[in-house]
Amino acid sequence: MKDNRDSSRFLDRRSFIQLTGAAVTTALLGCDGRGPRDAQKLLRWAEGRNEGVERALFRHTSIDRASRDAKLAGEAFPVYYVSKTLPVWDASVRGPWSLEVSGLVRHPLTLSLDDLLKLKQTRHRVNHYCVEGWTAVAEWSGVRVSELARLAGLTPDAKYVDFQSFDDGYHESWDIDSALHRQTLIALAMDGRLLAPAHGAPARLHSPIKLGYKSTKFLTRVVFMPERNGGYWSDQGYEWYAGT
Amino acid sequence: MENTTAADTRPRHHWVVRVTHWVNVLAVVLMTGSGFRIFNAYPGFARKGETFCCYPFEGTPIPAWMTFGGWLAGGRNWHFAAMWLLVLNGLIYLAFIYLHGEWRDLVPRRGHVRDSWEMAKFYLFLRKTHPRQGKHNALQRGAYFAMPIVGLLLVLTGLAIWKPVQLGVLTTMFGGYVWARYWHFVATWLLVLLSVVHVFMVLAVDPYSIRAMVTGRYKDSWSPETRNARPFVHLLPGRDSATGVDRQPGPS
Repeated sequence: MKDNRDSSRFLDRRSFIQLTGAAVTTALLGCDGRGPRDAQKLLRWAEGRNEGVERALFRHTSIDRASRDAKLAGEAFPVYYVSKTLPVWDASVRGPWSLEVSGLVRHPLTLSLDDLLKLKQTRHRVNHYCVEGWTAVAEWSGVRVSELARLAGLTPDAKYVDFQSFDDGYHESWDIDSALHRQTLIALAMDGRLLAPAHGAPARLHSPIKLGYKSTKFLTRVVFMPERNGGYWSDQGYEWYAGT
Repeated sequence: MENTTAADTRPRHHWVVRVTHWVNVLAVVLMTGSGFRIFNAYPGFARKGETFCCYPFEGTPIPAWMTFGGWLAGGRNWHFAAMWLLVLNGLIYLAFIYLHGEWRDLVPRRGHVRDSWEMAKFYLFLRKTHPRQGKHNALQRGAYFAMPIVGLLLVLTGLAIWKPVQLGVLTTMFGGYVWARYWHFVATWLLVLLSVVHVFMVLAVDPYSIRAMVTGRYKDSWSPETRNARPFVHLLPGRDSATGVDRQPGPS
């Protein structure tokens, strides 16, 4: 019996140490902490590996369709921009708006809204996947990025595309495959009407194949590049690839 | 170990089981905390412009102390890194218990429902003696068997909301993005519930099993069956089973 008592006291001490350890770990991890600073490198590395997985899963033939019974979000479609006030293109100050298609292309283009509206329009009713976890359905119409790339004469060394805006420097760069996916549009209209300023007028990028923040609103330039160029949210720690 | 010789104890958990168990604790804590942080960025399920039928706390965030990652990007980065730890560790564990035969102690046996009912009756003081058991009692078996199944559900629903377009077939299988996200959330709480009950029962009925999950060794006299132990009842060890039960079984 003595042996038993000894071993149970030993056990108690051991459990005590383990419980203390568990409590300290919980305290370190919990309380809305960001975790150890050294772990950031590990997280970056994991993001790189995940990008590899996401690129491997990518298919041009995988397309998004909003479910049949889903309502259009309409007025409930969230609005956001990074400038202090809603960015509106003021033609009297900045001259007429145009979209520049440049970089690794044979014929750089400068297209007015009318030029864009004369190009082949694609119209689809798809989900918008926000990084926050909500989705919203809208019917978008506009010009495929792949169509612009064809017209501008994309060169083979273009591996990335940067989508830039007049919203206080907001931009996001994409891998070329996702940009040339047939659901990636330079959207000019939403739910059958030309874009409202709140939704990125006069033209915005929209695609269901990446998280919402990758779809730059208030577009000014589409630049094809040999290297990636980060992005407004990607530079702050959000995933760069962000494919759905 | 120094005052308990190997003769007193016998092997209970293989080191692979012990290592994967504690790695799993870390992975589940990281995944749950960061998952709740991600959920708090939009603590609801309704598609914009619609309502959602089946969640009564739409718009109410999870308490901050239960979250991990600091902000949405932090939560996401941890979630998408720790998911590999969870999945790889889980696969090692499942492969091991399959190849090594431990699965036999974890898969429900014939008469599982009846055995579980007897165990429940014992805990509710409707039965005096602890039902006979093997390595685990019937309720434990059920819980330990359910955990990997809930884990699998978490992984599949997780994939469905991570890649709702490229893995759209999976997303559709769970009823679309909104529902897949909902099932991911429900499965999370199921796993939290199973884990909380597990930890409570370990502390209240069989704290010796913590030692077994660290050193791998256990004694018959420690087993709840020998001690006739209910939560907080008969916590001290009995005599080794070789010499018989030394306590009066039944309610105290």
